[in-house]
Amino acid sequence: MTKVSLELKDISKSYGALRASHKLCLSVNKGEIHALIGPNGAGKTTLIKQIYGSEQPDSGQILLNGELINNTSPSVRVRKGIGRSFQISNVLLGFTVLQNALIAELARKGKVFRFFSPAFSDPSLLTGASDILGKVGLLHQSEKLAAEISHGERRLLELALAIATNPQLLLLDEPLAGAGAEESRHITSIIETLKSQHATLLIEHDMDAVFKLADRITVLVEGKTIASGTPDEISNNSVVRNAYLGDGD
Amino acid sequence: MQALKRSLEILKSSPALFILLLGFGLFPIYTSLVDLPFWNDVSMRIMLLGMAALGLNLVLGFGGMVSFGHAAFIGIGAYSVGISQFYGIDNGWLHILFALLFCAAIGLVIGFLALRTKGIYFIMITLAFAQMLYFFFVSLEVFGGDDGMGVDRAEFLIIDLWDPLRLYYLIWMALFAVCLLLLLIINSRFGVILQGIKDNESRIEAMGLSALRFKIIAYVLSAAVCGLAGALFANWQEYVSPDIMHWSRSGELMIVIVLGGLSYIAGPLIGAIVFFLLEEFLPEFLYFIAPDYSENWMIIFGPMLIAVVLFTKGGLMAIFDQLHRRITRRQDTT
Repeated sequence: MTKVSLELKDISKSYGALRASHKLCLSVNKGEIHALIGPNGAGKTTLIKQIYGSEQPDSGQILLNGELINNTSPSVRVRKGIGRSFQISNVLLGFTVLQNALIAELARKGKVFRFFSPAFSDPSLLTGASDILGKVGLLHQSEKLAAEISHGERRLLELALAIATNPQLLLLDEPLAGAGAEESRHITSIIETLKSQHATLLIEHDMDAVFKLADRITVLVEGKTIASGTPDEISNNSVVRNAYLGDGD
Repeated sequence: MQALKRSLEILKSSPALFILLLGFGLFPIYTSLVDLPFWNDVSMRIMLLGMAALGLNLVLGFGGMVSFGHAAFIGIGAYSVGISQFYGIDNGWLHILFALLFCAAIGLVIGFLALRTKGIYFIMITLAFAQMLYFFFVSLEVFGGDDGMGVDRAEFLIIDLWDPLRLYYLIWMALFAVCLLLLLIINSRFGVILQGIKDNESRIEAMGLSALRFKIIAYVLSAAVCGLAGALFANWQEYVSPDIMHWSRSGELMIVIVLGGLSYIAGPLIGAIVFFLLEEFLPEFLYFIAPDYSENWMIIFGPMLIAVVLFTKGGLMAIFDQLHRRITRRQDTT
């Protein structure tokens, strides 16, 4: 039995003359965090979009647990086991934090085409929603509107909604974007505790977090993989140091 | 039975709606006391327009889909009555059944095609479909074309409608049922997700749900409610013509919703009441100060609508809602 959750084979994608992805190969195993780093415009988010299904690759294969998912829509891929957090918080701003989690719990459980059974007062849904918020430590803000909580808390809610469907593959697009130092440490530690339950593909610019979390790192520049390996290998790789990490002095 | 119990519980949580329904129910007693039966007619018209606006509001207010063609469904509902009678079917329940089925079916087709678009394109496509249906009925000479066709008040098996009060209470019961149904739906699993789609469609998709399905179902339901209003409208007016589905009526429905408040179930009803009262009294008022312009009452109505939208942040119901909250808060503190 293979533990490979996601496998990409020769993914290519161009926008006119711009090559966003060039023959990318990559895999993410269960229980592993695979980080994707690279300068702005390297094609990291574009790659996530192709895995998620909101963009289609020009060529190549996307395999989730060995199954080819190239031609499926995002909502189908989510049901097959992909969870995604977005670079810019993408939560239900007009709902409370608890209601956000409750709707995610509802989506996970299915049976959504019920026209008469109450949603927000359903005890089993409320329990599930509280569990989700408990995982990211956001229970104390349950009753606040998602529009009213702090930016860092919204990043946590974003993360909570991504894991709410209990995905096998977790796509995290800059989970720390815009969070303060303290919040970043908190979010990093949560991602670490969640690690064993998912295969995680992480995009992040905060190198401290990346080197703390990642088991493997792939460096992307202009749509191409220039290096891939363990954090130690990457930090000692001269090509990467020149292209992205800087010399460190 | 449980659904009924629950809907009555929910009704308690929406006092405005409760008061409005009670008011409509008791209104004929008042008009008979002051001997002004004409006002029953106005009240019926308000209830019918309110019912159609309630139907539209499921997609507009709770689903965020600005459909500019819902008058077409009122028309289809009304013609379901007229055409059925033309072919000798006199049973009112059957008329209503046909109205619901036709509107749901046509709503499904229009929704299926139009809901693939968003924003201005969706508005224009729904308008285009409504115009197609409008001219379709204009061209149907068999059923009177432009001139329309007369309709007899239908027989509802046990109840016939020779007495206008019976029609009044038939409409009232239909309105009551529609309100309860919509209250249940917007608080249900389906309704909560529908409102989630309005808030942020891409997040709902990221939860693994296909937003399109929810939108199509909501569209079909809302079309059916407008169809019911249309069928009763034909009985009330005893006449059907393409005029009933003119595009300006779609606009009227939207005005009524915006005026009353689109995030409230009771909003369209309040909107319909205020709209009709203004339609009734603004011309008289204008006649008083400028007799030549009494037909142009919309000159005053327009700025009033703008003022409501700008200053209440959620229609007339928002004012009521704030009042209600202030009162309950005061009760909590004392």
